Amino acid sequence: MRFGRISKAVGLAAAAALALSACATQGGGGNSTPEPSAKTGGTVTVAEVNGFTSFNPGTADNNVDINGRIGYATHSNFIYIDNKLNIVKNDKFGTYEKTSDDPLTVKYTIKEGVKWSDGAQVSAADMILSWASGSAYYDSDATTYFTTAADTSGLNLTDFPEIGDDGRTITLKYSKPFADWELAFGTAGNGGIDVPAHVVAKQAGLADADALVDLLKSIPRGAASGDAATLKKVADSWNTGFDAASLPADSSLYLSNGPFIVKDMVPDQSMTLVRNKDYNWGPIPNIDEVVVRYIGEAPAQVQALKNGEADIIAPQASADTLEQLKALPGVTVQTDKQLSYDHLDLNFTGVFAEQDVRTAFMLTVPRKDIVDKIVRKLDPEASPLDSQLFVPAQASYEETVKSNGSADYADVDIDKAKSLLAGKTPEVRIMYNKDNPNRVDAFSLIRESAEKAGFKIVDAGLPKDQWSKALGDGSYDASIFGWINSGVGVTGVPQIFKTGAGSNFNTFSSPEADKLMDELVVTTDKAKQDELQVKIDELIWKSSYGLPLFQAIGVDAHSDKVTGVQYMPNLTGVWWNMWEWSVK
Amino acid sequence: MVTYIVRRLITAAFILLGASFVVYILTAISGDPLGELRALNTPNRDQLIEARINLLDLNTPAPIRYFKWLGGAAQCLVPFAGNCDLGRNVTGQPVTEALGLALVQTLSLVTAATVLAILIGVALGIVTALRQYSTLDYGVTFMAFLFFSLPIFWIAVLLKEYGAIGFNDFLRNPDIPWYIAAGIGIAAGLVLAVAAGGDLKRRLTVGAVGFGFVAALLLVASVTRWFTTPGLGIVVILLAGVGLAFAITVLVSGLQNKKALYSGLTAVGIGIVLYFPIQGLLNVATPLMIFILAVVAVLVGVGVGWLWGGYDRGQGMRVGAITAFLVGGLIVLDRFMQAWPSYFNNGKIRGRPIATIGASTPNLEGDYWVSTLDSFTHLILPTVALILISLASYTRFTRSSMLEVMNMDYIRTARAKGATERSVVMRHAFRNALIPIATVVAFDIGALIGGAVITERVFSVQGMGTLFFDGLDHVDPNPVMGVFLCTAVTALVFNLVADLAYSALDPRVRVK
Repeated sequence: MRFGRISKAVGLAAAAALALSACATQGGGGNSTPEPSAKTGGTVTVAEVNGFTSFNPGTADNNVDINGRIGYATHSNFIYIDNKLNIVKNDKFGTYEKTSDDPLTVKYTIKEGVKWSDGAQVSAADMILSWASGSAYYDSDATTYFTTAADTSGLNLTDFPEIGDDGRTITLKYSKPFADWELAFGTAGNGGIDVPAHVVAKQAGLADADALVDLLKSIPRGAASGDAATLKKVADSWNTGFDAASLPADSSLYLSNGPFIVKDMVPDQSMTLVRNKDYNWGPIPNIDEVVVRYIGEAPAQVQALKNGEADIIAPQASADTLEQLKALPGVTVQTDKQLSYDHLDLNFTGVFAEQDVRTAFMLTVPRKDIVDKIVRKLDPEASPLDSQLFVPAQASYEETVKSNGSADYADVDIDKAKSLLAGKTPEVRIMYNKDNPNRVDAFSLIRESAEKAGFKIVDAGLPKDQWSKALGDGSYDASIFGWINSGVGVTGVPQIFKTGAGSNFNTFSSPEADKLMDELVVTTDKAKQDELQVKIDELIWKSSYGLPLFQAIGVDAHSDKVTGVQYMPNLTGVWWNMWEWSVK
Repeated sequence: MVTYIVRRLITAAFILLGASFVVYILTAISGDPLGELRALNTPNRDQLIEARINLLDLNTPAPIRYFKWLGGAAQCLVPFAGNCDLGRNVTGQPVTEALGLALVQTLSLVTAATVLAILIGVALGIVTALRQYSTLDYGVTFMAFLFFSLPIFWIAVLLKEYGAIGFNDFLRNPDIPWYIAAGIGIAAGLVLAVAAGGDLKRRLTVGAVGFGFVAALLLVASVTRWFTTPGLGIVVILLAGVGLAFAITVLVSGLQNKKALYSGLTAVGIGIVLYFPIQGLLNVATPLMIFILAVVAVLVGVGVGWLWGGYDRGQGMRVGAITAFLVGGLIVLDRFMQAWPSYFNNGKIRGRPIATIGASTPNLEGDYWVSTLDSFTHLILPTVALILISLASYTRFTRSSMLEVMNMDYIRTARAKGATERSVVMRHAFRNALIPIATVVAFDIGALIGGAVITERVFSVQGMGTLFFDGLDHVDPNPVMGVFLCTAVTALVFNLVADLAYSALDPRVRVK
């Protein structure tokens, strides 16, 4: 009996041992303590605020900064923008040349040997797909095929591109000159070569990229005839086929044709990019690996930098954050102006219908005090923005400031304002976002100063979910809010300042400026564009439009282990020169 | 019983419907989904607004959108059909997918914290109740309320500053100077002196012993570089195991049950004997193997208790099982410590193991021990933060419940008939005191999924809270509804479970 029990126990133990060894890790044995992994020189960890959502950053839904940045690191294009806001050509990737001014004709050629990471040549088909998605060529009032985030007004002027015999060339012919032709095609997220045509073709059930080109060629503008159903499939693939929160099993969804290639994604946590070994068509990165970690809160980013979990951070800037960062040893902090700026607009109706009243009001705006109070803490060199069209990072800023008349409003002049008002006490309703402390501060300072000149100020501020709805509805006389200067390109100018334009909320109208803007958008020469913009800027100031106040300040910081990180005012952020990053 | 459950489920369904409608409409009218786009000055402003309107279906009035959403959500009720459609968020990601990812993140964050908070809170509650109005009672109450009243984001930031950044700095060169060791020793001695109870002399003795022990331990650890190459070793496991065997016997059966004590000690002995043989197996460990080993340990403990037999075999088996489990835990802990140097020196860790963000180190390659250590170093701070703030409710609740029970007539009766104090506390009082706590625990588990929003933000865990916030931020009801559904269903289910548990635990309550 006793013996039986023991033998049962032994049997049981043996069975258990078997079961355990069955669930052991494969190939183990011996002492598993792994040798310390080799210190791979050259990993940089970047903290990002938003989580990655799509390998196609060009769609309206996925036009988030992080998607654009990953797209930028994993794709090459004909041009990129540097941190002085110049267009830099990447001749090793491909070339483009303006072959004719009238009609405006541009020929794009991709270099031979520029490949997707699956080995396929980056070809004309990829450019055709990029053109199709960014041109709204096939859209009609009823149907939108490609939901692009890009401005389609430029490429929409072109007809179906002519494809070169080498299969790597396309020629775009514009029906009228287009000022931003260099930006219309070939920048990341804006007609860039981000999405491989052969993958889209496969997703849409087509044989290959050539079949896709044939399909697109066979469908006329507006897609009135032809195989619209397949076009829809192509568009759907482009719109949503590359969305991914985790690393897709199908590696064709994240093909790279740029310096880096995606290696791993941990949903909502991190993303790893490694060097694209084939890549030699552009600036070659120094580092082997970029790790992106998503950290939403600014204090958490600072502590992650301090704890060595992130090497480069770009938190939402506040005075507290900046102070904390500056206190960290071994950390370089960079602060500079961003492209977004706050401005005060005066309606050209109601109490401000008269120019003298507008001028008087502008004279009371304490722009220097506003800068001192709001951005001085972040940037000791901050000064009021003195142009409606340029930012100081652009070459023409200094020139326009000299002539545009902004000097008249450099200092508050209550006496002059009083004399212009001639004893009147106009009632001014100022609308702003009450939930934005900066705007509240600006409003308070303006109110205080304007009341000295006799203005009666009514606080028409609205909560954050209501103020933007009120824009242009006539419920206020002046408004304080933010705009973003595109930094490059000029097609944004008429959007704000042209009579009846979409973002012209204060009904500013100047026939002379309208004419200049009409000329501006068809001027393809950069120098001429700047000249026109300087004139337009002056006209806007002369008509007492309102005042730009200050530029927002951006902050980035990096550990001194990393070198080569440079501040960038636009949305690409520090990523713009990631090939120059290196690890000490 | 069955009719009761069915009735409750039907009510729950109606509550869910009504609440979901209210939440959907409230979210939809909470702001302007186009707000950020309206103030754009890009030439394609109208195009972007149009795209957003199409994406969120804004031309349909919110109540009708709700029923569209409900139509999709209703398909989730069909099991295994795979048609579950909770809509998409503003980046076009299906909410079901986002929910799945977020749920994992949140659960891994809050599960350990909740379980530990319950265990520690209940234990402290009982101890403070038994020693009502003692210094210990006041001390625990003070600390519990202190942590309860501190804002979590503040605790979390402090923990990150000292628990992660400071501790990592310390680990770079883990020397403990004698004055620091003495300082920590004094603090430990004070706590022990307060906790010890009894007369002044006893307290002083306990405090002095505690001071000496802790200070010496720290100095020895510093000299032997224990913090760079930690480990317990077979001797410490043996000593701790014997201590555990005694402690568990005291709690479960009382020391007079010698057979129970022997089974506990035997379990420790088996653990010690197996310490070296099992290392080879542990080297190739997987989570499943650890689980199986834990089960085996418990079974062995039960077997040992059964073999010892005695007048109360059940107690012996219980002592054996618990001791075997804990000794197994010590061996596993020791193995984790053995893996520490290879984790610490891993190139991805950069010699700074305690993390302030996220749930794992990206691209960390290592075996089970290294990767699990990585999870621990990431989870430890949020877990501590969550435990600290949630401890108060459990402690206070258990304390009052225990006090109430201890003043009952049947406790007096139990004492009068000569039951030992251990038996009175553990068997008569504790079990009955647990009844109301079961309700609180069930409620807390219901609230668990949506309850760690701020902790998630501070520690950069993109869980349910982040999903909810982002949804609200974009005035996009779909993700909000996804989070709502999860939390509401768990809350309703656990409410039901709480009621059922109540009736199961308390014979005076019957469901009808």
